[in-house]
Order: sequence, then structure tokens, then C-alpha cells
Amino acid sequence: MSAELNNFFTAKRLRWFAAAIVLVNGFFPAVWILFTSLKNEVELTAKPITYWPQNPVLTNYVAAFRDQPLPGYLLNSVIVATLSMLLALFISTLAAYAIARLNLKRRNLILTGIIAVSMFPLVTLMVPLFEIMRGLNLLNTYTALVLPYTVLNLPICTLVLVSFFQDIPRDIENAAMIDGCTRLGALWHVVMPLAAPGVFTAGILAFVNAWDEFLLSMSMNAAVAYRTLPVGIQMYQGEFSFPWPTISAALVIALVPVVTVILIFQERVVSGLTSGGLKG
Amino acid sequence: MITTRSLRDRILDPSESALAWALLTPALLFIAVIVAYPVVTLLINSFFDIRLSRGLPTSFIGFDNYAAALHDSMFWRAVKNTLIITFVTVPGALVVGLGLAMLANMPFRFRGPIRLALLLPWALPLAFVGLIFAWFFHSEYGIINDIIRRFGGEPQIWFNSPRLTMMAICIATIWKTSSFMALILLAGLQTIPASLYEAAEVDGASKWTQFVEITLPLLVPSMLVALIFRTLTAIQSFDIPFSMPGPGEETQTLAMYIQLNTVDYLDLGYGSTLAVFMFLLSMATTWVYLRYVRGDKD
Repeated sequence: MSAELNNFFTAKRLRWFAAAIVLVNGFFPAVWILFTSLKNEVELTAKPITYWPQNPVLTNYVAAFRDQPLPGYLLNSVIVATLSMLLALFISTLAAYAIARLNLKRRNLILTGIIAVSMFPLVTLMVPLFEIMRGLNLLNTYTALVLPYTVLNLPICTLVLVSFFQDIPRDIENAAMIDGCTRLGALWHVVMPLAAPGVFTAGILAFVNAWDEFLLSMSMNAAVAYRTLPVGIQMYQGEFSFPWPTISAALVIALVPVVTVILIFQERVVSGLTSGGLKG
Repeated sequence: MITTRSLRDRILDPSESALAWALLTPALLFIAVIVAYPVVTLLINSFFDIRLSRGLPTSFIGFDNYAAALHDSMFWRAVKNTLIITFVTVPGALVVGLGLAMLANMPFRFRGPIRLALLLPWALPLAFVGLIFAWFFHSEYGIINDIIRRFGGEPQIWFNSPRLTMMAICIATIWKTSSFMALILLAGLQTIPASLYEAAEVDGASKWTQFVEITLPLLVPSMLVALIFRTLTAIQSFDIPFSMPGPGEETQTLAMYIQLNTVDYLDLGYGSTLAVFMFLLSMATTWVYLRYVRGDKD
């Protein structure tokens, strides 16, 4: 590197530069959608395009609520994601406790088996699941999504919870049992509160996974009343029209819940995402 | 000490392994119903003619569906598109993700916004990312063409050409997936002891040598896990290509073709056969990676 370049890239400048790249890369698409959602029809079709909205309007937000049942989509997404998260947490807590703590033969094989579930492409399961749900008359119900999403989340939840359970000293549990707690009593009263951060982490990951899912949701629940957000957002486009400002406004609204969740729980999310990566 | 404790455990609860199996039952039951049973059904279905729209009874047709797939140019096109997306976006996300991780690993005073910038793309649903990037690549009002114009280039009608559409799909996919890669690699970077770099510095190693000799080898374990999952999801690409359609069905992926045959055409037999092919593709990928991991340990 020449001396000039070295002078330009002082450590401090380099850091600012690095930060700018990471920030722009992460936030630009969301910011751009926000700008688009505030532009009126005239400004949107101006050439050359404007960057900052000149006369911010909220009409696109009105249209987003008028053209599609956006609150309904939001509600469906919240219900499906919450139910499948709770179910996945419950089932994987029991399984993880058995694997981490109880006298179990071939525990590693069982854990590997549960993790291997994530190797099965959801698309391939979709064909028979569609047939099963169709046969049971469960198409266009919350159940049609909650059950598959629960299984989709079992591997990551179990993995996170096993590692948290293993870090809790056995003595605490044994003391509780000597005091008259049963195994399950000790799990509920002693282990769970101590593993709360792990339960939280697993829960957020499960929620976001279910919140994001698109293919199954579109295939199983095509009816308006049961559409989730990722599917509902696609419905603003007509056969020949693509109302970008309205779609942008709907996207901004759809982003709020997830952005809030990750803003509040970012440490938990990062530790959950990386625990799988580092243990492997 | 340990033996007495586990002995006491067993005295307290003689049926512990029975309890363990009881606790595992819900998980195993769910996996059996939602994964194992469908996989078996899938295999069986692939040998039958199940076109629900015809209203005729199901009939066994042996390998006819498989033969049909091998002669189906739409199937091969879908496989080709899927493989292009996989071979472009997996290494792409790794390189971009490594870059982002290195940048984010610098000693900043405000870590919060940086971390949020890496988390946001991860948390955005793929279907949203597809829509957002379709807007970026809009031929008239998209920002990509605007930037091209400003630099005096020729604006493109991106979604009129299969090649350009595939490019746009790959860019959107790399953006969406590289930040997850960066988070995993960032955690890996932070486990590398600073003393290694200090020692290298004393030995007079350049930054580049340090990167190649210390950073990369120590990151391999975190990279491999991230790569397996990234590759498996790339093979299943659906949301982004679906939200960024090119001309006709030129940029259809295997997952899109499976969905089309199953849900739209209600041809469950052929849809199942296509799914078996995707399944084989995933298994082959996992096998290659696992072989590599094992080979590495020898």
C-alpha cells in the first residue's frame, strides 16, 4: 500500500468506513421501502426518480389497509407463529430434558435423529402433507400450518435447549428432589427458571421461522381468511398492475413486529443463531 | 462421587429411562406424523398416477413418472435454475458474509446498530426480500437502473431476460443470506484468541498472511455448518424466485415446479416424483459435506 493510501486509511477512518458499509447493507432495503411508501403517485413516476420523498403522504398506508385485509393477515401470522412456537417449545423442552438429563441409552443418536429432521426439504414434505391435510379436511385452518411449523422448529429448539440444560448443575435438581420434588416437578420449578434464557432464545428463533414461512402457507391456506402475511403481501398485485407504493406501505407495516422483536431480543437471537454454528 | 450420585438418582426414581422415553414421545410422534409418514407416502406416490383433477382412481404405473421427469424439459430447466442459484449464492453468501463479519468485528464503540444491521436481513421473510428487490430492479422506477443511468450506463429491462432475472434473484438471495453467514462467522472470529495475531505480528507476518494462515483455518468449523444449511436451503429456493418472476416460466426453480404440479395441477404422483429428485439432491449434498468433514478429521 502506498503512503498516500495509508494516510487516507487511518484506523479511525477505516472503522467509520467499515461501519457505513455494514449499516447501509443491512438497512438500505428497509429504508428504501419506507421512502417509497411515503411517495405519491406523481413523485413515484417522476424521472429521474427522487430519493428522499418530496411531499410525504400517508395515502399508501390507507390504501394498504383498504385493498387487502392487512390486519387479518397480521393476526393470522401472529396466531400461527405463536401457537407453533409454544407447541415447539413444549415438545422440545421435554425431549431436550430427557436427552440432557435422564438415564437414556443412545442419547446422541436420538439428538442427531431430531436434528436430521432439518435436512428434509419442506418442499418434499409439502406434497404428502397437502394430501394428508386435504384428506382430513384441514386445508385452510391454522392446524394445517401449526403442526408442520412445530416440527420445522423442533431441531433448533431441541439443540438450543439441550445445551442450556447441560449447563445447569445437577446438584440443584437433586437437592429439589431430596426436598420432595418429583423429576417433572424439579424440571418445572428448578430447571426451567434457570434455563429461561435458553427457552427465550429457542422461542424467538421458532417464532421468526414460522413468521417467515411462505411455501406451505401459500399451498395449505389459500383462502383469504387464513392467509399469513408473506402470502397476503403478494396479493396486492393484480394481473397487470403492481401498486408498488401500496405494497411498500404494507411491507413497512409487516416489518414492524419482527423489527420490534429483534430490537428487544437481539442478544438472545444472536446467541441462539450462533450456538448451533459453534457446537457443530 | 459421580457413581454414588447417579446411583442415588436411580434409587429416587427407578423408572428413569421409562420417563425419558415418555418425555421423548411427543417429539417422536410429531416427527413420525409430519416427517416420516410423508416421506414414505412420497416414495409410494411417486410410483402411482394420482391426478386428482381427472377424477379417475389411482393406478400403479411403476417408474413411468420417473421416466416422464427425465424426458421433461421443464424439469431439467428447473433443476438447472436451482443449481445455478445454489452454485452462485452459496459461495457468494460466504464471501460477502465473511467480508461483513470482518468489518463488523472491528472495535466499534456502538455495537448495537451494527448487530441490528446484520440481524435485519435475517429476520426479513424471504418473500418480502423478493418483493423489495423486484422493486429495486424495476425497469422504469427501480433504483438499480437509476444508478446505472447516473453512471452513464444502459438501463436494463431486468425481468424480460432470463439471464438478468437470474442475476437479480441471485443478488437478492446473497443479500438475504449473507448476513446470517456473517453472524455465524462473527461468532467464530470472536473465539480466535488475540494472542495468535500478536505472535504473528511479532514474527512480521503481513495482515494478508495473518488472514490466510490464522483467520481462515480457524473459521472452517463454523463455515462448514453454515454452508451445509445454506446449501440445503438454496436447493429449496422458492420464495425469492417466485416473487421475482422472469419471462414466462424461464426462471422456475425445482421447488416452484413441484408446487405447480402438486397444488395447481393436483398431479400428486408427478409432484411426488419431482420431490424425490429434490430429496436425492439434498441427501447427496449432505453426504458430500459430511464426507468432507470426516475427511478433514482423518
